[in-house]
Amino acid sequence: MFNAVKSNAQVMQDTLKDQVVTLRDRIAGIEERVATAESDLSKLTRIKLSGYIQAQFQRFENPSVYPNNTFSLRRVRIKFQYEPVNGVVFVLQPDFSPGSITLKDAYARMNEPWLKTFSLWAGQFNRPDYEVEYSSSSREVPERSAVIRALYPGERAIGAKLEIAPPATTLKVQLAVFNGNDGMTINSKVYDASTQKWNNLNINPTNKDFDNYKDVMARITYGFKLGNWGGLNIGVNGYYGFLKSNSTDLLNSDYTYNKTLKIGDALKRNWIGAEAQVYIDLWGGLTLKGEYIFGKNDYPGYVSDPYNVFSNSSAFNSESDTLTLTNLKTTTTQQSPGIIRNFMGYYIYFIKNIGKRNQFAVRWDYYDPNTKLSADQIGVTGWDAKVPDVINNERQYAGTDPVICTNNQTRTIVNNSLKSGIPDIAYGTITLAWSYFFDGNIKFMLAYEIPINEKVTQNDKGVGNVTSKYTINGEPGVLDYSTVFPQNILTLRMQVKF
Amino acid sequence: MKKFKKITRVTIISLITLTGLAFMPAPKKITVKGSDTMVILAQRWAEVYMKSHPESVIQVTGGGSGVGISALINGATDICNASRPMKQSEMDKLKDRYASLGVEVPCAKDGITIFLNESNPVKELSLKQLSGIFSGKILNWKEVGGTDAEIRLYGRENSSGTYVFFKENVVKTDYAASCQTLPGTAAVVNAVSKDKSGIGYGGAAYASGVKHCAVKKDDKSSAYLATTETVRSGQYPISRYLYMYLRNRPTGEIKAYIDWILGQEGQKLVTEIGYFPVK
Repeated sequence: MFNAVKSNAQVMQDTLKDQVVTLRDRIAGIEERVATAESDLSKLTRIKLSGYIQAQFQRFENPSVYPNNTFSLRRVRIKFQYEPVNGVVFVLQPDFSPGSITLKDAYARMNEPWLKTFSLWAGQFNRPDYEVEYSSSSREVPERSAVIRALYPGERAIGAKLEIAPPATTLKVQLAVFNGNDGMTINSKVYDASTQKWNNLNINPTNKDFDNYKDVMARITYGFKLGNWGGLNIGVNGYYGFLKSNSTDLLNSDYTYNKTLKIGDALKRNWIGAEAQVYIDLWGGLTLKGEYIFGKNDYPGYVSDPYNVFSNSSAFNSESDTLTLTNLKTTTTQQSPGIIRNFMGYYIYFIKNIGKRNQFAVRWDYYDPNTKLSADQIGVTGWDAKVPDVINNERQYAGTDPVICTNNQTRTIVNNSLKSGIPDIAYGTITLAWSYFFDGNIKFMLAYEIPINEKVTQNDKGVGNVTSKYTINGEPGVLDYSTVFPQNILTLRMQVKF
Repeated sequence: MKKFKKITRVTIISLITLTGLAFMPAPKKITVKGSDTMVILAQRWAEVYMKSHPESVIQVTGGGSGVGISALINGATDICNASRPMKQSEMDKLKDRYASLGVEVPCAKDGITIFLNESNPVKELSLKQLSGIFSGKILNWKEVGGTDAEIRLYGRENSSGTYVFFKENVVKTDYAASCQTLPGTAAVVNAVSKDKSGIGYGGAAYASGVKHCAVKKDDKSSAYLATTETVRSGQYPISRYLYMYLRNRPTGEIKAYIDWILGQEGQKLVTEIGYFPVK
């Protein structure tokens, strides 16, 4: 009896042991699976996804804009960020505009792991400037200032950048090398036989590197703390670059002749700027920020492909008993000299937070693309080197009754001129904006932009020396730059950011 | 057309209502969010303060320092608790949104404690050894003077300030993939107390049911346990400040609360919970 109980107990113990072993194995299996799953999940934490959508309604007061009220998607962006190993980051940010996808950011960044001071960027990224790097999702007004939009079209450029930002300091040095022509439209002219007009032609539509010259940009910023009252950031930036000449003549900023050059010669683009941002913890937060930039920017000019027109005519001279058959080949070339314009521009923001959810901003920005021309010179001053028509005759005579004269004429027309006009007109813009932060992700903005153009003088017919024609629904109209014509824009924007 | 007019009217009324809501005075409730390390301390502060100030309502939640700072930037909390200093990128966001660099209030000091199972014979570790252990280069306890057993790691989630501080100041590279991440230092303590081969890190306030490991700066230095004296004197090599962050300079109810925390009563609670006072 005792042996039977003992034997039973032994069997139960063995069974229990087996069950424990089985359970232990199962737990070990689950632990292994959890560890694998955790390892996979930890890789996912290295991927960061962010983005924003800006949907807006705008009303334009400029009579040449049609439609003058419209809904649009200003930004639809998703930013993918992947950090495969510590300190190495890949960033990809496309913009999904209706009907197109464009690449905005696409770069790799490597942070040096020892001093944690240096980082190297390569690819397409923002040019180092305060307003450029300040995301439009954070900006207090709808658009960047005119001077920034003119100097850094599209904001991004392809190149490499070294950033030096020692930890525990607010010093930041940025040194970048870019192709330089990123976002720029390089125009020439092309003849349209159907309309018999010369139209603009963008000769670099894919926005690839246009020349062998590279542009260098540098920015240094430093931040101070103003006790418990806020902070002050100051900085300087400089741009040193070249664009290849696309013409054989170069003008000074005042449209006087500078020199003859070869297509492909380097035209300098240099400017320097200074910036400051003051943050004051006063009645819920107040910011003043501004930047001043001045220097020289160039326009490369163009020499179009020649356009040939053929015409035939005949004439009989009874006195000399001669029939003249004339074949005329007219070759026209449109040229524009390059010009280096002295420019200046600046912007000043005043931003006041009202409570946690509201923010009021006012900005005055000014851009004078040609400081060497006064308003009364714009539309008057220019340079014209039109070559007088040259007609070459090649006559061949044959026959005796009548004499047949075949005259192959060639006529060469070269239009080579550049007159001051819209690109020289200065603009100041007042922007008023009210933002309401519904929560951390949703923001509403109501803004009113008031651009004020520089007024040019009028000619003897009482019309401005600079005008711009337009046609809307078959109705022609004229913008007269001797007046400040309405160009205001009302924007109501909703932004969702994640 | 009538329908269109009605829709327009409703839209305009909604916009006016939304704008009006923006100007409504906020209730006198103080919200505190952030560091899990500080959550017990913050709750204790809130409880005691509300007892003596019955008109005040203080709501405390954790989530991690990173979560708290995000909430401060998004306007979702009045006070952020953080067991690490605010990063420059976070400060920039605050600056862009509120025109403020934020207000940093060091409110306690903490020694990050290394937890070992009570049965573990190891008594002290150097910073280099800790880095090797948590980065996965040292895999067996016998490599650091313990028994022949595989080291099992327990740590915090990456939203935690303790995670960031320990990574930046001790591990100095990536954590080993095998490091099990847990939601809170209490969970780390619990896991180590049940695992003979376990090692974890966290705030001293949670260190019950496990053994504290003394830490030395390098092989030549002496090893110290995290105590008021060693943390205050800086002898204990893994110590840090605990912070409260605000968007703007405090006024009214929030100022009164902060002043109370930095006062005698608030700092007494710091010691009671197991941290170290700043005053």
